[in-house]
Amino acid sequence: MSNYFYVSPEQLIKDRAEFAQKGIARGRAIVATIYDVGIVLVAENQSASLNKISEIYDRIAFAGVGKYNEFDRLREAGIRWADSTGYTYSREDVDVRALANYYAQHLGDMFTEGPKPLEVEILVAQLGGTVRPSKLYRIAYEGTIADEPHFAVVGGDADAIRARLAEAEQEVHDLATTLRNAVAALAGTDREIAVPDLEVAVLEDRGGRRTFLRLTDEQVAELLGH
Amino acid sequence: MGLPLFSASEDPGPNFVRFAEVSGLLTTPDQTLDAPHATTVVALRYAQGVVMVGDRQATAGYIASRDVRKIEAADAYTALAISGSAARGMEFIRLAQLSFEHYQKMTDADLTLEGKANYLSPIIQRNNLSSPLVVVPLLAGWDPTRREGRIFEYDGAGGCYERRDFATIGSGTPFAESALRLGFRTDLTREEALDLAALAIYEAGDNDPSTGGPDFVRGIFPMVVTIDAAGFAELPTDDVRVRYEAINERRTQAQGVAGGTLR
Repeated sequence: MSNYFYVSPEQLIKDRAEFAQKGIARGRAIVATIYDVGIVLVAENQSASLNKISEIYDRIAFAGVGKYNEFDRLREAGIRWADSTGYTYSREDVDVRALANYYAQHLGDMFTEGPKPLEVEILVAQLGGTVRPSKLYRIAYEGTIADEPHFAVVGGDADAIRARLAEAEQEVHDLATTLRNAVAALAGTDREIAVPDLEVAVLEDRGGRRTFLRLTDEQVAELLGH
Repeated sequence: MGLPLFSASEDPGPNFVRFAEVSGLLTTPDQTLDAPHATTVVALRYAQGVVMVGDRQATAGYIASRDVRKIEAADAYTALAISGSAARGMEFIRLAQLSFEHYQKMTDADLTLEGKANYLSPIIQRNNLSSPLVVVPLLAGWDPTRREGRIFEYDGAGGCYERRDFATIGSGTPFAESALRLGFRTDLTREEALDLAALAIYEAGDNDPSTGGPDFVRGIFPMVVTIDAAGFAELPTDDVRVRYEAINERRTQAQGVAGGTLR
């Protein structure tokens, strides 16, 4: 007989939450903010090739913090879900709310039933258009899903960043101002983030079907006025 | 469908068709005969790219449609044309477009032109060897590393062959190909290539009952596209109309024959 020790459900949930929070707190935060004609996603990322922000579909972007392998698998699943939904029905039938719910269900399942909770927090953004409204969803490690009206923050130190951003983003601005506010909120008062350490992408209508665009370091520097 | 998550060993990777098979999204085609067929597309290399022209007619014993689009942009730098079963062909184009974009999103990198050409081979093979609704595509694109236009043709079993000059698909092939063989040079300009490709489809429409020529009455003209360093571009209808009016006028003057020179 192997030994089974009784652990109360409260203790189990608390331990799992602490475990996941610890993993996520180590990751740098990501900010997504709606600006006048689009949505900008900003991450602090030293790597130029291991992205935290990605395109999911024509008007949907994904961002993940925490363990790279875990959120990257969620990113891939999101692209597969979106592409197969659009292939089966039509491109307009791909809605971020359904995707956010699937992510929430999966993270919730892994939190309670998985061998260990996923150490990730993710953010999905949808650019509004003729069919659907702009949406920002934040999904936490235990499956909690939040619908943010103007901006969303995930990752370590999220509360402080959110407070700073709320101060600066009391109304909707243009891209340059919004990006400056997002970067300032990520950095805080006592440091500055170098442009090569920023990963920035936008969802914006440019006349075509796909709206996701990664900004180069030069474009970011120009927008920040460096 | 829930969130399609896979373990590392069963992960289908960025290959959309493999993923679609695993998830049951793709099914074996029906055994239906006498479905609409689409015919005759030519692709032709010139100094700075590729020209592609396709007729607009779908035939099922009668003219099923006069304004079918048989050429589509598979992505910004690749054109894909189809002959054979219209239904399977349209599906094939949709699958190719989705596959290239899927790969790009999954890996954050573009497939090479050769990668796209090879990817299509097993899809054609599977369709054509399991269904009477045969599809034969034609792929043309701009290769950004070689800085040239390239053409890939396929046989019915999915074999993929690069052509350095021109390629033709569909039932009007003998007539279109003859025109191309007589008129092709390796140093064609864009304008010359456009006129020669337009003429090739004119000949096919003139001789092959399943190929539609220019339809001046309805204002429907063969579809003309170019793929060069700037990407895929479709010529406006008015531009195409002028080219076919010129061919028609010369042919009328010559009382219906090419008149000893290729024009």
